[in-house]
Amino acid sequence: MSARGWLLAYLAAVVAATLIHEPLVLATALALALSAAGRDRWRLLRRTLVAILAFNITVSLGYVVVAVWRGDFSAGYLLLVNLRVLLLVFLGMWFAARIDVVAALGVSPTLTLVATLTLGQLRAFERIVSDFTLAFASRNPAPPRTLDRAHHAAAQGIALMDKTMAAATESAMAMKSRGAFDA
Amino acid sequence: MHIPDGFLSPQTYLPAYAVAAGAWTWAARGLRDRLDETTVPRLAMLTALAYGLGLVMVPVPGGTSGHMLGIALLALTFGVRLAFLAYSLVLLLQALLFGAGGITALPINALAMGLVGATAAAAAKGLLARINEMAAIAVAAWLSVVLPAAIVALVLGIQPAIAHQPDGTPLFFPFGIDITLPAVLIPHLIIGIGEAALTVVIWRYANSRGWCK
Repeated sequence: MSARGWLLAYLAAVVAATLIHEPLVLATALALALSAAGRDRWRLLRRTLVAILAFNITVSLGYVVVAVWRGDFSAGYLLLVNLRVLLLVFLGMWFAARIDVVAALGVSPTLTLVATLTLGQLRAFERIVSDFTLAFASRNPAPPRTLDRAHHAAAQGIALMDKTMAAATESAMAMKSRGAFDA
Repeated sequence: MHIPDGFLSPQTYLPAYAVAAGAWTWAARGLRDRLDETTVPRLAMLTALAYGLGLVMVPVPGGTSGHMLGIALLALTFGVRLAFLAYSLVLLLQALLFGAGGITALPINALAMGLVGATAAAAAKGLLARINEMAAIAVAAWLSVVLPAAIVALVLGIQPAIAHQPDGTPLFFPFGIDITLPAVLIPHLIIGIGEAALTVVIWRYANSRGWCK
């Protein structure tokens, strides 16, 4: 199936998941999605759980407190909403892992260009943050003071902006030389 | 302040997609003419910065998250239309790559944070810049957080009323406006102050490097 086909299938599955209000059906759909996701299924499920855990625990606990206080608690609701969120986020992770999202969207060459450059900047951000974190840890055998952390954060912020700006400018100039900005 | 996936009813997100599609079309019109080899690197850098800021999020009891946006920086540097498009891209990538926000919540998140946030920031700066530019930028950034938070709270808060079982049990988000409005808005009044301070610092630095128009 083409990237666009996967996108349409993903969107149809998302809408279907929000039209179903039976926990058993959602659980079956989740099981089917897990079995179809192949060898990556447990890695994707772990990422999904990490992504939703904080929010779903917060909402679920909030619901328990408020609903018990009001006397209208429903365990079925908790099951339904958590299964639905788990299914939706898993489908998103699976789709993004399988398909080049930017290419699948492909709505405008200019937007694709900005998206690709932005993704490049994100990779640069991750690399720089990792470098700074390791360097900071190596310079601080004892736990650093708050002031040191603040200085480190400021230095890291400036380096992030300068380096990513330089990298993006290089990419843009390279693209210009290849006619990317020609009308 | 992302609304996560699975908490909005189709009665909410499907019409919201129709509205957002119109807004995205408006924002993308003439995009090619507004981008060149000098704007694209700055746009990519600030979009990536907004992406990074948005990932440091704390769950808020009202069912959303508290985090900085970076939308004011985008709006003040590139205008509302480009800022809205860039922030929509940020939200899409966060939803698909990190499960933050979601594909069903994308239009509401984009309209609230991307369009209303950017418009509020640009309007506040336009109105107040003659008095004091830095104060105008601070107010712009604060508003760009607080107004979208109010919209997100209202949209979440109407879910129990528009999607529920015959016995009244909610099908999507469980809390009404009486809970979501204070729970989402109050933390964002404070987060807005942090956003204002950060925006002023980055704006001054970006100006010193000639990155802002």
